[in-house]
Amino acid sequence: MIAQERKAALLNAMQKLEAYRQIQNEMGRAVAAFNFRQADRLLGFFALDKEDVSLEYADEGVFNGPDAVKTIIHDVVGKEPEAGEMLDMQLTTPIIEIADDLQTAKCVWWMPGAGAIPQENADPMAIWAWGELAVTFVNEGGAWKIWKLHYFRYMKCDYKKGWVDDTSMINRLNTPLHPMADTTTYHNPYSPTNIRVGIPCPPKPYASYTEADNRWELDENKNW
Amino acid sequence: MFDLTIEDFDLLTDEEFEALELEVGRLTSCWMVSNMRGGSAIYWDDQRIGEKRHEYMALKHPSVNVEAEMAFRNKAVVDSLEGNSLIHPLTTPVIVVDKTNTKCRSVWRSIGVEGLSKFRETPAAIVSLGSVPGANVVEDGEWKRLWGAWLRLTKNEYHAGWVESMVPTNTRPPLTPEQDRAMLGKYAYQKDEVRQPAPEPPHDDTWEVWPDETETCWQFINLKK
Repeated sequence: MIAQERKAALLNAMQKLEAYRQIQNEMGRAVAAFNFRQADRLLGFFALDKEDVSLEYADEGVFNGPDAVKTIIHDVVGKEPEAGEMLDMQLTTPIIEIADDLQTAKCVWWMPGAGAIPQENADPMAIWAWGELAVTFVNEGGAWKIWKLHYFRYMKCDYKKGWVDDTSMINRLNTPLHPMADTTTYHNPYSPTNIRVGIPCPPKPYASYTEADNRWELDENKNW
Repeated sequence: MFDLTIEDFDLLTDEEFEALELEVGRLTSCWMVSNMRGGSAIYWDDQRIGEKRHEYMALKHPSVNVEAEMAFRNKAVVDSLEGNSLIHPLTTPVIVVDKTNTKCRSVWRSIGVEGLSKFRETPAAIVSLGSVPGANVVEDGEWKRLWGAWLRLTKNEYHAGWVESMVPTNTRPPLTPEQDRAMLGKYAYQKDEVRQPAPEPPHDDTWEVWPDETETCWQFINLKK
């Protein structure tokens, strides 16, 4: 006779596997929408009904709340694309932990990317744009939505020069931060003088998301 | 989400339930092994030596030489970590878990970028493609790496490209090109050679053919003479 606890554990494992597949697919679709500059479609992957939905990217600050997330995605992704412009990010190296209660998931991907930036009176500049992505998903009635997204820049450089010789694009220019942005929490791109520190960290198995899990991706404790 | 409930399991015999449980466990293991390898990749890029970390290696397995492993981990191969980086994204996974859900063979491919500064000089930008074959076992209820390798395909100075440049593995003392070729560069790209098909990704029957988890020959079954 199979115990009820064992049956519950199997059901939970099957639900986690299904969630794993759904989350990988949803993130893949979201990245495609980003690459194709489909702002409204990209926003459809976010949990915009949550007051604490957030998006942080590189050193451009944290966009907290639905209005800020909508604004920055429309400002950046929704801009009218120019001829010759391109950015194609790819998801690799998935590390995905789904909470035992199936309500949230912590995920990391490494993202190689390539792009092209239009230039005045010249051909577009081919660039490398590599980064890492830490995403917290939330289960909303069976649909997995992006609750907190944090993109870490690894490199952004002229393809011809490479990431050692061209660090001119790894940090933002000294212009005012977006008015809806809160202070950047972390920024450590590759440069000839920077040291890598294993951030975003791999998510660890967990039972249920609590307040203490906020900014889990910045945990520098490697001896867990 | 699918609509399965616990009550649905009552339709199964105990044997059927156990078979389903095992198969779900094996699928979950593929995911857990991927997570473990991803975590290892993060720590590979963060090259601190001697730092306490979550252990991803099966150190309790009788085949593991713990002393040698710790000596390897604590050996400095660069003077400073400034400008050093090893980003090797994992792609193209092939993962085969055995029928008992306790052993796993896996191969990933990787297109990697590196920064290498050995003696605090300006780093070299390096492109390194390769494969990550390995075997994994369950230890203390967690999937861990029993052994793993980096089989280099290319490791070139960025601007020179992989036809013109082959950077040896960075060791102290440094390897000669011949020594490098005999180790991690054994199956690396050579412009005057036909490529060797290694590592062969594990086949579905890998555990029936080679039940011993320490066996490594499965990677090399198609080598050309």
